[in-house]
Amino acid sequence: MKFLLSVIVPLLLLLNINATCQIKGGLQAPIKFGTATIIFNNTVNKLPLVLNDSTYSNPFGEQYRLSKFKYYISGIRLLNSQKKWMLKPGYYLVNQSIDSSLKINIALQENSYDSIAFLLGVDSARNTSGAQKGALDPLNDMFWTWQSGYIMQKLEGTSPQSSIVNNKIEYHIGGYMGTNSVLQQLVLPFPSNSPVLIQRGSNCIININADVNCFWSGVVDISIKENPVCSAPGKLAKQLAVNFSNLFSVTSVINN
Amino acid sequence: MKINITIFLIFIITFTSAFINRLQNRQPHYLKLVIPKGWPKPTRNIFAANPLTEEGFQLGRKLFYDVRLSKDGSIACASCHQQFAAFTSFDHDFSHGFNNSFTTRNAPALLNLAWMPALHWDGGINHIEVQPLAPLTAPNEMAETLENVLKKIGADANYKKLFKAAFGNSAINSQRMLKALAQFTGSIQSYNTRYDKVKRGEATFTVSEQYGYKVFKANCNACHTEPLFTDNSFRNNGLTLHPTLMDLGRMKVTGELADSLKFKVPTLRNIALTAPYMHDGRLYTLSQVVEHYRDKINNNQPTIDSLLKNKIAISNQQKVDLLSFLYTLTDEEMLHNKRYSAPAENADILPQHVH
Repeated sequence: MKFLLSVIVPLLLLLNINATCQIKGGLQAPIKFGTATIIFNNTVNKLPLVLNDSTYSNPFGEQYRLSKFKYYISGIRLLNSQKKWMLKPGYYLVNQSIDSSLKINIALQENSYDSIAFLLGVDSARNTSGAQKGALDPLNDMFWTWQSGYIMQKLEGTSPQSSIVNNKIEYHIGGYMGTNSVLQQLVLPFPSNSPVLIQRGSNCIININADVNCFWSGVVDISIKENPVCSAPGKLAKQLAVNFSNLFSVTSVINN
Repeated sequence: MKINITIFLIFIITFTSAFINRLQNRQPHYLKLVIPKGWPKPTRNIFAANPLTEEGFQLGRKLFYDVRLSKDGSIACASCHQQFAAFTSFDHDFSHGFNNSFTTRNAPALLNLAWMPALHWDGGINHIEVQPLAPLTAPNEMAETLENVLKKIGADANYKKLFKAAFGNSAINSQRMLKALAQFTGSIQSYNTRYDKVKRGEATFTVSEQYGYKVFKANCNACHTEPLFTDNSFRNNGLTLHPTLMDLGRMKVTGELADSLKFKVPTLRNIALTAPYMHDGRLYTLSQVVEHYRDKINNNQPTIDSLLKNKIAISNQQKVDLLSFLYTLTDEEMLHNKRYSAPAENADILPQHVH
């Protein structure tokens, strides 16, 4: 028996070592990647957005408080004049209530980049592909159950100017089909003379500001008094989405 | 001695690898959706990202018959989708929901869903996997949250085993639950009616049925297209707007005026068992349905279907024959297929009564 063991054990070990070597060999490919952290700073008039607390005033002097502020980001790419770097398809739900969701860590090929692009929302294919998981799990309360499709942006709160029960304001912005599609492709340039420099082992911080007040008048004027609620795809949702795309700008790039 | 060791080593290696293989081979048993001869291919493969397996099907079946999916533990999917009524609510215009509430539309038959590109009367649901989210969370249906459903089934050790068998490990999440339900509902198939058997040369129509088939082909087949007996389009068939429900149908989904009062053309398979009829169950008999099409269509509506503008001329004799034909669309094999019925181990979690 001992003899048998003395033969088998080394043999198994040998197999094991072989397997380990193969894995290590795979990892030894030259790394040409650095990392970047995209930070979404949701603000109102340059002050950090605080949910369930601060009262804000929109461009029409209407007061509001927010209890929920969430939006989907997908298909993040960094661009420069020579090439663009497309990230692996990924869907992120930025949720003001969850600190960790405000930062997105990405790996990037070594290079210099001068703008960032992403889709504001969830692409139409993913809206029609059945049950999803992760950021797209219907548990996140961002999926319409009576009319399939993702709520791309969600703002909820109260305003004295709202005539709805309990002075509610509720904007659920979605729709992926045809003219009612609320999907917005954004390209945000980095501040001039401040490109993102990705080097092996470095981590660059990209600060993106989203100013909630642009929601009411970024492109189309939409007052709370006239439109306290949006809960389905359509013309209003589309207008709100166009405004929403105007929230975003890159405020700073910190190359470490 | 050396040869002995070599032989022994070969033996050990073979044995070990066979053992490892066996561990890895606890794979589910794959199933195939039946695509009957002469049928069109499904518009898309609903199981493309959800491989159909016996284990997944059985898990979905258990979930379908489990009242814990509802808020007060009184309603299962099967409460309103009863097998003996072709998975509609037998003899109900609207189904009963949580706390003495009613649904606002007639429960549709669940069959041949792999050939149905959009679900619900207004086509609002774009994939079979996300369909259960609607009844699960609707306050006038099962009234539960997805979170609570997952908690309840997650506390059941038996479910852990079934999820493991179906998906490789015992993790329970919304995606797996929805995919399992889709495997069950998407597998409910009807292709063994007398009509199908006549088409396959295994049976013959009576004289009346044969005449009725002619009447059907001349007057009904354009929308209720064979062999699915629906073309899955949305049409206004001339029903007047319901005065209190004010249901505008497809327009609710598209926002287009042109879609006002349009509803999905339902399948006629098992039509003898799915009364009452229409999206709000306003017609109680098949005779009334034929009367609607030959006499009662409201063709003053701008979105009335062009095929119905002038109503459908059907004589009394043709009506009798047409009804005979419609009865040949009953699929006894589907209605009594034990694979679609409540699993035996669900005895304590079945709906307690039929309303």
